[in-house]
Amino acid sequence: MEELDESQSQLENEKGEIKVNTRSEKDSMQPKGLEPSPFSYEPCSHYVDAPFYDWLTEVSKDLSFADIRSEEVVDEKTWRQIERLLAVEARLLDQDAFERWLLLYVEECVYWIPSERSAHDLRETVALEFHDRRRLLDRVSRLGTGFAYSQIPPSRTARQLSGLEIWPSPDREDEWRARYSFTLAETRVGRSRILAGWNGFVLRQTSSGLKIVVKQINLIDCDSPQGNNSFFL
Amino acid sequence: MTNTSSTKKKENASSDWDWLVQEDRIHRTVYTDDNIFVREMDNVFAGTWVYLLHESQIAQPNDYRLAWIGTREVIVSRNEDGEIQVFSNRCTHRGATVCRERRGNAQSFTCPYHGWRFDNQGKLFGIPGKNAYGPAFKSRDMNLARPAQVASYKGFIFATLNPDAPSLLAHLGNVARYMDEWIEHQGGEDNIVISGGQRYHLDCNWKLVYDNAGDGYHVPFSHQSLLVMTNERYGGGDMTYFADADRSNMHAYGLENGHSIIDQRPDMFANSAWNQQRPQPGRESYVEHVLNTAGSENAQAVLESTVGAGMNLNIFPNLLLIGNQVQVIQPLKVDSVNVYFNATRRRDADVEMNTMRLRTQEDFPIVGEMDDAANFEECQRGLTFSPENEWVDMSRHYETGKDVKGDDVVTGPVTSDLHQRNYYAKWKSLMKANPSLKMRKERLK
Ligand code: FES
Ligand SMILES: [Fe+2]
Repeated sequence: MEELDESQSQLENEKGEIKVNTRSEKDSMQPKGLEPSPFSYEPCSHYVDAPFYDWLTEVSKDLSFADIRSEEVVDEKTWRQIERLLAVEARLLDQDAFERWLLLYVEECVYWIPSERSAHDLRETVALEFHDRRRLLDRVSRLGTGFAYSQIPPSRTARQLSGLEIWPSPDREDEWRARYSFTLAETRVGRSRILAGWNGFVLRQTSSGLKIVVKQINLIDCDSPQGNNSFFL
Repeated sequence: MTNTSSTKKKENASSDWDWLVQEDRIHRTVYTDDNIFVREMDNVFAGTWVYLLHESQIAQPNDYRLAWIGTREVIVSRNEDGEIQVFSNRCTHRGATVCRERRGNAQSFTCPYHGWRFDNQGKLFGIPGKNAYGPAFKSRDMNLARPAQVASYKGFIFATLNPDAPSLLAHLGNVARYMDEWIEHQGGEDNIVISGGQRYHLDCNWKLVYDNAGDGYHVPFSHQSLLVMTNERYGGGDMTYFADADRSNMHAYGLENGHSIIDQRPDMFANSAWNQQRPQPGRESYVEHVLNTAGSENAQAVLESTVGAGMNLNIFPNLLLIGNQVQVIQPLKVDSVNVYFNATRRRDADVEMNTMRLRTQEDFPIVGEMDDAANFEECQRGLTFSPENEWVDMSRHYETGKDVKGDDVVTGPVTSDLHQRNYYAKWKSLMKANPSLKMRKERLK
């Protein structure tokens, strides 16, 4: 996984509005021997490859492991930074600020809702959701069209996070893993419900600050029929 | 609120199905009335062949899984020798469920209440304190109850409680040849592996889900967000050929016994279907992998074989083969239904192709199906809160003369309500009938 320069695709203009560039200027790759595509599927998703899946499988095991971790392994400053980032992440979703929310993620990010309680290998079992940056942008864009009927009117949400744990990634100095439990109260068209579970994260220190690499949302009832979860969990 | 119309009387008169289901419209109570729902569970679900699950979901000896014949819960179990049995998850003692897990591997089931033990063919083999029972008891068959008929079509397991139902092959009729085409797209019957699924609970009548599976009319409207997004972000792609669907090469086909198909293949495969797929995570790495393994002359063909089957194949009343997914409808109550989007992989494919298939099958459920689901639930609300508005329309292309009858297939424009008209004819004949429903408890030989 390579670090990309975030500044090229995420611009904040003078008014403070955020623009997320969804199409790059350069032509999309057209390998020889293939039918030319009339569509330009940017930003490309080269990073989701075999080693990446191997890594996600390892991450998933680590996040869900019933470990007893020592308190000392993360310095206080990092702890506070991560705690704050995760609080902001949840709040921006409660505020429907999806484009701003995506700024908290590295370019080569993952948003993952497993369909089984012990998270499966993504190469063998379908997920409830598994998105790279491009598909997250699809979803944000779709919600903004004014025609996404499953979110008209939109869900209102309030998230409660508790029991945060943070520990260093085994493979990188600039990376941490974290998890917390959540309850997510949701209301829409006069009906309220509670979603609950725990979220696992991979976080990385980048040139543009601390960012989220992976968010894995583990619903306690992920293997039972779900309601309308067409917002972001 | 009092209802002074004649509706109340009509909906309870079982002889009046012709009034409730007309050629081009349906009475709202077919979607809202509890008594009709209860009769459906007997006549439409138990009374005809219903899909339970795919053999690959109980692949190993002693694997089992729960499944449903409408609201009747059954266990589908494979024994040590690979034989498959279907039996009710209802203890023959006092009625407790003997199995509380949705799936697993077990040689036997012990009822948690008084400890009666059944083997994984449903045979009773252990009663604690058996001496307390007398000869009258011992003369009764107390094995777990099996549906009158169970049969498999190329790995798809069906059952019915109706001993007089025609064979599964006769029930499938001419949809079998389209199933064969769908199976062929997956590389053959032994090649299909169900690989998890998305599952939804919707607050609507099960038929709103079934109606939609053959609805070629709703796409540019219900899925407008998807079409607009795809267009704005990528300059077009998946499903845009539905925009002016009646001028497209796609058609709807009404088949025997209420089955139908919306065939997207003429347009989906007219140009590269791979190129039209909304982009999946890892799409570019997959293309590189295919170029490396298949070589540039075969790469395009491999990519095209990775996409969905291009069919909405609707097997009445509860099985939908859509794209590469095996979707199953499980009615719960008159206004409540579960829908299972089972994903598939291919046994003969490499891990990269199967991974790409799974990523593709994660797209539509969350960005497309949810908008439909919201519309189904709003239909249910509208049909419920406005009893004076009695009718649900299904007359699109009914009077245009564009539904063309062939030997055993009716061909219509892709936005025709042919699918609904076709299955409601079957539905009505089933609802008028008085099937005998049987479950057997005698010993297996
Ligand atoms: S109900 Fe099953 S043993 Fe009594
Ligand atoms: Fe749809």
